[in-house]
Amino acid sequence: MSLTITCPICGKRDGYEFRFGGEDKGPRPEEDGLTPQRWCEYVHLNECVAGVQKEWWVHKDGCGSWFTIHRDSVMNVEVATLEAHK
Amino acid sequence: MFGKYKPLWGEKTQLKSSYDVVIIGGGLHSLATAYFLAKEHGITDVAIIEKNYIGFGGAGRNTAIVRANQRTQYNVPLYKEALDLWPVLTKELDYNLMFNNCGNLNLMHSEAAMKAARMTIATAQFHGVESHLLDAKEAKELVPALNISEDITFPIHGAMFHPPGGIVRHDAVVWGLAKGASKYGVQIHQQTEATAVNTKNGKIVSVETSRGTINTSKVLISAGGYSASLIYGMLGIKLPISVLTIQAMVTQPLKPLLNHVVSSGAYHCYANQTLKGEIATGAHMDQWPNYTTQTTAHYIKHQAEALSEFLPCLRGLRFMRIWSGLADMTPDMAPILDGNDQIKGFFMNCGWGYFGFKSCTVSGKYMAEFIAKGEAPDMIKPFNLRRYEQHKLMGETAELVTYTPNN
Repeated sequence: MSLTITCPICGKRDGYEFRFGGEDKGPRPEEDGLTPQRWCEYVHLNECVAGVQKEWWVHKDGCGSWFTIHRDSVMNVEVATLEAHK
Repeated sequence: MFGKYKPLWGEKTQLKSSYDVVIIGGGLHSLATAYFLAKEHGITDVAIIEKNYIGFGGAGRNTAIVRANQRTQYNVPLYKEALDLWPVLTKELDYNLMFNNCGNLNLMHSEAAMKAARMTIATAQFHGVESHLLDAKEAKELVPALNISEDITFPIHGAMFHPPGGIVRHDAVVWGLAKGASKYGVQIHQQTEATAVNTKNGKIVSVETSRGTINTSKVLISAGGYSASLIYGMLGIKLPISVLTIQAMVTQPLKPLLNHVVSSGAYHCYANQTLKGEIATGAHMDQWPNYTTQTTAHYIKHQAEALSEFLPCLRGLRFMRIWSGLADMTPDMAPILDGNDQIKGFFMNCGWGYFGFKSCTVSGKYMAEFIAKGEAPDMIKPFNLRRYEQHKLMGETAELVTYTPNN
């Protein structure tokens, strides 16, 4: 499937060089007072937005860096901002 | 031939302002749920709300394979009952579902895979499901076209043979269930989009649609790959789901050649010969969530390479069509069947991944019971959403699935 992703180090590259790393869920929750519900939310739960979302990628067949981008999951294209396609 | 014909599932009906149960999504799980609600529980005031047309999604895009050779104690009985239901429903619906009980042959390409197969077979036998372990020679006796030589990428060590499985005509199931459900008075509203689900004091009160508001106290969202997005968008409930596209394709038709469904995990390839003679084959998925249902030359090449290794007589064949559909994958490869928990009167049936077709009838049966009685039947209790926060994942795969970002 055609997809290009912009790596912060290597620039715009073929999507198959990368691996999807999940929806962006903010920082890892603090250990203090961590409930099973909050941990489950961080580990497993997704919003599955049909539209633009912020998400993690890793340049697995490249420089190896982890970074976030915005992508429209309906059009399957990288976009500049969360509001880009709304 | 060109005269007036009577539609299979009744006349076009006005959307009423209230129903006992509203089902969002017009796929197989919804149709089956509506059918069993009406037939088994006498709840006939049911509306199915479908944005496109019935069978638009996974119902018409899957590769029609049915089987009950899963791994866990919760899944196997569910899929076994699903298999047992095909002949029963063919009769009940008075509609030929074309169940071709040809059996499934899963190829194993290493000693480790043979060990995993042994465990799966032991589970199957414990639950009364027929499954056998074969060596490579026996597999070739079953499917003479198999290449069991040592000089392919993944030489065949043996296979797991599962005779109760096979292929069912998926469109026939859509039409048959629609016919059966509407006979009992279920209303199927196509070209009608559900836009919101309204709650009051933690209870379902109504559903907004593109054709007006429907008052109801019970809503089931069972919209296949679109469920997770709808459930979060409408009710703010997050699910452990990643929605990926999966592709399938068919070759030009051939004389009968494959009399079993053949699949291989190592090659990421499964193939069966349809009743029309085409080899229907499917693939791995693109490993990032999207809702495009795009297809790619990448997978045509991959399928061609895989098939021409373990079924070399297919070399040089042409692919006729390629398509794709959505699979809503969960981390433990088991569905989420839940309701009356987060919101009273709200039910969900999703997360089937690529097992949605083989399970549609049985999931409909038990979701109907769940909706009618308000309590989850024992059979589907373990499939609740809370299992994830309780760390009770199902272990349907030997290792974490590679289809999601979880590993």
